[in-house]
Amino acid sequence: MIQLAYRNIFQSKIRLLISTGGVALSLMLILSLDAIFTGVERQITAYIDNSQADIFVSQVGVKNMHMASSSLPAEVEIQLKAVTGVKSVTPILYLSNVIVIGEERHLAYIIGLPENASVGKPPSIVKGNILPGPGQAVIDRRVAEASGVSLGDEVEILGETFIISGLSEGLSSLVNSIGFISIIDFKEMRSRQDIVSFFLIEIEEGDKREAISKTIENEVENVSVQTTEEFSLQERQVVKDMGTDIITIMNLVGFSIGLAVLSLTIYTAIFSRRAEYGVLKAMGASNMQLYRAVVYQALISVSLSFLLGWFFTLLLSIITPQLGYDLQLIISQGSFFKVLAAALIIGGLSALLPVRQISSLDPAIVFRGK
Amino acid sequence: MQIALKNLLQEKTRLALAVGGIALAVMLILLLNGFLIGMNLQITSYLDNSPGSIIIAQNGVQNLLGATSLLPPGIAIEAYQVEGVIKVVPILSQFVILDLHDKKQPAYLIGYKPDYGGGPWKLAEGRLPKSDTEIVFDNVLAKDHQIKISDLVEILGQEFSVVGLSQGTTSWMTSFFFITKGAAEKLLLIPEATSFLLITPSEDISIFSIQDDLAELKGVDALLKTTVAQNDLNLFAKIFSGPLRLMVAISFFIGALIVGLIIYTMTIERQQEYGVLKAVGAKNINLYKIVISQALIAGGAGTILGVIFSYLVSSIIMVMKPQFLIVYYPLTIIWAIFGGLVMAIVGAFIPAWIVSNLSPAEVFRK
Repeated sequence: MIQLAYRNIFQSKIRLLISTGGVALSLMLILSLDAIFTGVERQITAYIDNSQADIFVSQVGVKNMHMASSSLPAEVEIQLKAVTGVKSVTPILYLSNVIVIGEERHLAYIIGLPENASVGKPPSIVKGNILPGPGQAVIDRRVAEASGVSLGDEVEILGETFIISGLSEGLSSLVNSIGFISIIDFKEMRSRQDIVSFFLIEIEEGDKREAISKTIENEVENVSVQTTEEFSLQERQVVKDMGTDIITIMNLVGFSIGLAVLSLTIYTAIFSRRAEYGVLKAMGASNMQLYRAVVYQALISVSLSFLLGWFFTLLLSIITPQLGYDLQLIISQGSFFKVLAAALIIGGLSALLPVRQISSLDPAIVFRGK
Repeated sequence: MQIALKNLLQEKTRLALAVGGIALAVMLILLLNGFLIGMNLQITSYLDNSPGSIIIAQNGVQNLLGATSLLPPGIAIEAYQVEGVIKVVPILSQFVILDLHDKKQPAYLIGYKPDYGGGPWKLAEGRLPKSDTEIVFDNVLAKDHQIKISDLVEILGQEFSVVGLSQGTTSWMTSFFFITKGAAEKLLLIPEATSFLLITPSEDISIFSIQDDLAELKGVDALLKTTVAQNDLNLFAKIFSGPLRLMVAISFFIGALIVGLIIYTMTIERQQEYGVLKAVGAKNINLYKIVISQALIAGGAGTILGVIFSYLVSSIIMVMKPQFLIVYYPLTIIWAIFGGLVMAIVGAFIPAWIVSNLSPAEVFRK
């Protein structure tokens, strides 16, 4: 029966191509949307994950950076430095703003870094200096390239002009990029000297993050303390929670389209071979054997479609950055298995209609010449 | 046309599956567009409903939602002294992430002075905040999280008592909530801070002349409210247009493939009849017409059904998830219909090619 299913599928190559393509695209709808959100999650935590900090301290109630605002009194730094096991404390200022280059405006998170920052610096510099001095800015390479500027050129941040002193890499996302300026400039522009957004803490022994976080929580009032992993997880959760509803809707639509296409394909294939199935029935093949052939056909089709859909999405993940989009598509393991399960369900359901068709098939049909 | 119709109607289940598939693809395109239009309307809801027609922002800031703005101290008084300015409404605003029932919910905080305006424009329930410990929460968000009047909600570690529920202040991305400006200053640890000034100009003087005068003030940009709204829209359009276009393109190809599949199968099944027609003198153009008519009928039916599906599905989505606003403009529908027909024509390409290459002698060989 597997052979029969296999032959049925591969007899008409064009039909196979069209139907496999249709289902593959439907599965790709689900896979690619998942991949976009996973990519955004990864991009959005790039700064945190590569900050080299062990612990993030923020305003009480603030658990992440994206779309958030945190304000802490600057003197908290003294309290943090006094905690046993803390190696360094790097205060940073942070807000969402735009980097203006000529007529172009790029949405960016602006981070104010101290001159001697030990952590929280841009993780990778392709040109220039890693730390911006007064009047200088480190911006993302992709932003610079998009606007045709490089080291020594001027950009406008928070209404002030800065000279590009470094080009960073790996911190831009679909939503924005990250620009770095000196914390001194940042404070001057914000007219506040005594406020810090986050404290990034480096500890002496990396395996004591949780213990030191607890100590800080106990010793310093009105702050949120999280290890870098926890902070990053909270950041990803923001994207996840924002995307849950839309992903569910899109998954349902993608699933329904895939089901319709595969049902159409299997139904059409069985329909056009009614006579052959009639012969098989007349020769004594049981309904169960024919059902199996239909189910195999559906499963082989859907497996091919799944592989093609997966391949299309992988291809898309390679092509998209080449087209200049700051869009990273990552197929997570969870998403892979979710779509595989959806594909198998689609395969199973799509076999229902033809199964009904076969069960009501009269073996005499073949002799009537229909 | 009659042959095309008969061909299609001969196997109704197959036609139903094909029309259903096309309908789903068209529905997806419409839903995505409707969702984007709705989101655009929601994004500018605060600007559309707040007082004034000129916005003063920190120098370099040209968005309300995209960037944090902090105005120089004393700017409200300076703005009020500009000729032609009749009202100045200061607000302190900031995105915050709320933790509601273990779900992270981005929300846009508006700190405003209840005596000046700039707060919620429509209350579904309750009243405006009177003290620094009171809050007006978005009614959809409140319903989602079973928050009622007089409940306590925690914002950045501080508890606020819900005194009102606002209407029209939600979107899937973010919802607005309102507290007094004093409370916002304490919450963000920036006393006397102001993010934006909402300026109501006199009707006696040109708005552009007032805007120019306001732009002269040190450290600020003066923008028409419509410009700020457009900047917010552009910003979000830039973020969402890539993935959206991708989804629409995939849906389009799926639709075209479905049409292709059904018309291809029908053409193959009737290859002999087409051969006979050719043998008795039918020209390729006549056969093309049959193939294309089939495609257009299936595509047209699928598209119309897709439009109906989209209205139904969007109504269900909006009832179940009121934070989603899905809006269809007539032009979007026209584009969807056009897209559906283009899908049909693209889908008919391979069958038409088969018909054109068909040898009339084939029928006699079989």
